[in-house]
Amino acid sequence: MPPLSGQTLLIGWLLLPFISAFLAALLPPLARWLALACCLATGAVAGGIHAGALPASLHLLGPYGVVLQPDALAAPFLLLNALVCGAVVLDGWRRPMPGPFLLLLMVLHGGLASAFVAVDLISLYVTLEVVGISAFLLILITRSDRSLWLALRYLLIGNTVMTLYLIGAAVVYLEQGSFRLEAAAAAGAAALALLLVGLLTKAGLFLSGLWLPRTHAEAPAEVSALLSGVVVAAGVVPLLRLAAVSPALADVLPLIGVASAGLGLLFALLEADAKRLLAWSTLSQMGLVVLAPAAGGLYALGHGLAKAALFLVARRFPGRDLAGWAGRPLPAGVWGTLWIGSLSIVGVPPLLGFFAKSGLEKALPGPTAWLVSLLAVGTTAVYARLWGAPLRRATPQPGAAAEPEPAWSPGVLLLLAALVLLGVGEAFRQWSPALAPAAAKAALVLAVGVGLHRLLQPLRRVAWLRLPDLEGFPDLVGGIGVVGAGLLVWVR
Amino acid sequence: MDAFRLLELLILVAVLVGFVGLLLRRNLFLKVLAMDVMGSAVVALFVLVAARSGLQSPILTARPAAGTGTAFVAVADPIPQAVILTAIVIGLSIQALLLVVITRLSRVDPSLDLGSFERGGLQRGSLEAGGRR
Repeated sequence: MPPLSGQTLLIGWLLLPFISAFLAALLPPLARWLALACCLATGAVAGGIHAGALPASLHLLGPYGVVLQPDALAAPFLLLNALVCGAVVLDGWRRPMPGPFLLLLMVLHGGLASAFVAVDLISLYVTLEVVGISAFLLILITRSDRSLWLALRYLLIGNTVMTLYLIGAAVVYLEQGSFRLEAAAAAGAAALALLLVGLLTKAGLFLSGLWLPRTHAEAPAEVSALLSGVVVAAGVVPLLRLAAVSPALADVLPLIGVASAGLGLLFALLEADAKRLLAWSTLSQMGLVVLAPAAGGLYALGHGLAKAALFLVARRFPGRDLAGWAGRPLPAGVWGTLWIGSLSIVGVPPLLGFFAKSGLEKALPGPTAWLVSLLAVGTTAVYARLWGAPLRRATPQPGAAAEPEPAWSPGVLLLLAALVLLGVGEAFRQWSPALAPAAAKAALVLAVGVGLHRLLQPLRRVAWLRLPDLEGFPDLVGGIGVVGAGLLVWVR
Repeated sequence: MDAFRLLELLILVAVLVGFVGLLLRRNLFLKVLAMDVMGSAVVALFVLVAARSGLQSPILTARPAAGTGTAFVAVADPIPQAVILTAIVIGLSIQALLLVVITRLSRVDPSLDLGSFERGGLQRGSLEAGGRR
């Protein structure tokens, strides 16, 4: 028997989650192990790409067939997919998961993995729809009336923008006779604008991403972790691929990214609810991810790991209202996760977030890099609000009937360990005296950010200082319309 | 006016009508229908794109004998047709899922008015609670 070729391995890896989901439906006791196996396989593929052991491009089914590119751009996203899904599986290991949760998780995992390696418009359309439908069903998993409405909103918006995306794909085919991303870059401005509306909305960027905060904040903690950790990245990867080949998009995307980062930051600073604060921060951080295609992968990895950990412990917050946050002590597992996760997003060495941020600043021209530092100050001020809560001393509760939950869930530990270990690995890889000024800058940003937080604290009690509610359904559709119309005029 | 241009214009109008319906209608059911109007317009667009090279279905009925040379027939481009077949299936399943959710939501407000869902009066669910079946 000949040894397995890289191509066979890759095809088997892409099919594995869907076969496992099918098997899990037949053999429910195996579901957790199957889900874990899928995550391990994806992690191994990400490692294989990093080591250069796998083919970087894959042509299937002849000249009109599908091309897949498991390249260096996809590798960090695949690793993120593996770690976040694995953490969610491990986090719920001891708890009974409602019915099809793990099955849907596997389908979502497979859809995301395919979306990260697909390089033609139609494969992307299909994988994004698979991701959208499985995320919709995951939001529905609690079957409360509230989640019904949120899920409906999510799928309605998602399918509308994918319809616009398809029109863009049709125009690309009409002009270029191909559905490849390179053809999309060569096609006219109108086609590019329509494709962008779809991808920007899926990635949760700027006005077209206004659906994101409420959906991510109201979904169950596990689903929020998946949505904020990896699902938004499904829209980001094609954007980065497209920006790498299309100069017109490479001009526009940083501006949208900065606008998105600013918008998310402003709302996160004045938010009164802890989970919504995290969700607005996702919108802001996704804006930073799309600033530079070269550094976006590492940044998305750092942010996704930290945000998924934060959302996973959000389940155990004593309350979501930030007004009395400092008065409610947190259990050690929540408290520690809150600090490590948010310090990574803020960019404190030696966590992964620091190297992601310094990599991003290196990839950007001068003034934009300063803007990123300025936004990091704001991000610090956002997360400083979560640092106010004291640590609860462990006291055995007499008469507690149920077995108390362990302080640290294995899933959260996995994510935090990844943040620290990948950060330390990066530190060894780029070890040089040049890191010292970057670390000093990070400390300065932290200090200024905490100062800004102190300064803003009294302002939050001012009654008239309220931001408009932009999350009604007409606002979401309007936001998509505005972004679409703006792109049609703007992209040249 | 060129027939293709006319059809293109009609498709554009249908897309815009769908989008405006999605924006302005207060009833959730009508919103989903408006989305379907957009979807149908896209299907029509792909069929139109496919028909630019010819109108006959691209199906080979008999294998042409080698060397005889068959008469050139202007057949439709099969690729957009194949693509839109996938999109139709996805669109149909999404439509079905949305309608199921709407049926469930109609128990909260039978008039399916947007306002009664937006105000946040619905209870939140948590994964442990399992919700109600």
